[in-house]
Amino acid sequence: MIERVKNRLRKRSGKNRIKQRLIIFSVLVALLLLLALFSEKLCPYDPAQQNFAIALEPPGPAHLFGTDRYGRDMLSRVLVGAHISIFSALILVAVITAAGSLIGVAAGYAGGKLDAVVMRISDICLAFPGLIFALAIAAVLNGGVENAVIALAAVSWPKYARLSRSQTLAVKQSDYIQAARLAGNTPVQMILRHILPNIMGQILVTAMLDIGTMMMEIAALSFLGLGAKPPTAEWGSMMSEGRSMLQTYPWVVLTPGIGIFISVALFNLLGDTLRDYMDPRNRRETVKNS
Amino acid sequence: MNPLLEVKNLTVQFEKREGTRFSEKKERKKFAAVDSVNFCLYPDEILGIVGESGSGKSTVARAVAGLIPISSGSIVLDGEEITDKKGRDLRMIYKKIQMVFQSPADSFDPRKTLGYSIGESLKNNGMTRKEVRTEVKKLLQSCELPEEFAAKYPREVSGGQCQRAAIARALAIRPKIIVFDEATSALDITVQKKIMELLSGVKKTNGLSYLFICHDLALVHKFCSRILVMHDGKIVEEGEPDAVIGNPRKEYTRQLIDAVL
Repeated sequence: MIERVKNRLRKRSGKNRIKQRLIIFSVLVALLLLLALFSEKLCPYDPAQQNFAIALEPPGPAHLFGTDRYGRDMLSRVLVGAHISIFSALILVAVITAAGSLIGVAAGYAGGKLDAVVMRISDICLAFPGLIFALAIAAVLNGGVENAVIALAAVSWPKYARLSRSQTLAVKQSDYIQAARLAGNTPVQMILRHILPNIMGQILVTAMLDIGTMMMEIAALSFLGLGAKPPTAEWGSMMSEGRSMLQTYPWVVLTPGIGIFISVALFNLLGDTLRDYMDPRNRRETVKNS
Repeated sequence: MNPLLEVKNLTVQFEKREGTRFSEKKERKKFAAVDSVNFCLYPDEILGIVGESGSGKSTVARAVAGLIPISSGSIVLDGEEITDKKGRDLRMIYKKIQMVFQSPADSFDPRKTLGYSIGESLKNNGMTRKEVRTEVKKLLQSCELPEEFAAKYPREVSGGQCQRAAIARALAIRPKIIVFDEATSALDITVQKKIMELLSGVKKTNGLSYLFICHDLALVHKFCSRILVMHDGKIVEEGEPDAVIGNPRKEYTRQLIDAVL
């Protein structure tokens, strides 16, 4: 009896811990987003203002993150860089999630020829190593953050198309889909009302986990000179600019690196927690307990 | 009397893939789940279809309701050929024929309230939100469920209650035929009895015909006006319940009856 109560308490606290983690990480991510949104107002200096008299100054009270080789304040640049790095990753993930899952759901629901064609295209996209393929597309498009996002979107949507297609195929078998057909729903209504809501959780969790990856890939493209162009402050290109100075003036590389590290870690932790929270095994417990 | 539903030479084949996808001989064997079945359903009738698992009774149910494509034969519903209907025309068929599924909880979208699912067909056929709401209330009442159930989710109600809601959903559009695909098999006996009473009641008030697919011979005997016995996709025996169950003419029917304890 006591064992059972203990067991139950442990289970309940496990669930609560997930909820607690979810709240903490959501708040942290929200703070990060606010920081990125209002970064220009928070900057102590103009991030583009050059001053060669104070070039490559180490971190100190006047410049908390030091200055780069043009004497620009690194803190201001990292803050402004957050705006581009984080929001371009968010836009990218939003685009591939929406496009990929719509394509996948349509293919899975319709089946037949549409399914075959769409899946072969996505097979082709998946046959190339993603980042290299994106690199090629970005190079053809002539660089720039927008083009880097387009290039990454072009190679990343198949993952979502595959995921949502397989989820759709699983859901399509269930009786409630047949019942919904009997209610006279058109195929579009079927997808919007009954299929998407039932597979959205899985897709959203994958998208959350992808935000971090996409941030790194955008930074990687910028690092290679195919993303943001100078003097735009973007974490990847900032690291690239400073890479020759890693041993002599490490703050020029490390401060944007820490920015990438912290934000990628936060998005991944939130994604992981969200996955644990949505896990049906955990969910069943809440239903039983309530 | 003209039949409400006339099924002629209905055949439904499924493809069975033999060997791997890349094997040289791509043999596609066809397997007939339903093999040239003929039957009629007359107005005001309860036609029972019995048979063991895999005999094709559920496939007949789904084909008749227009949910799966048929391979050959014809289905005439209320004087209208439904065999090759697609899209909008097919959706019009669903106004005349509705279905109640075996597992009550699985036949409702877990993300929608019962009220939404019950009223969906009405909404799709041009009723305003307000009209749908009052209609759902009436439907719940006629299936002996409290009005508050409209706001509940399928996981929050019991199997019997959920099946009542499924019946309410089938009644909503005022069809002429309701197909029950093992609709009482997942329920325990007392609940089953109450559901059967409800079915008899709504049949009278709504002037419905039932196609009742079931493997419970006793239930079919008591409830149906005529029985078909299916085996391996074919109809092996047809007749009044007393005649079929009391005095079976075919070997298979006898085996089926002997299998009941």
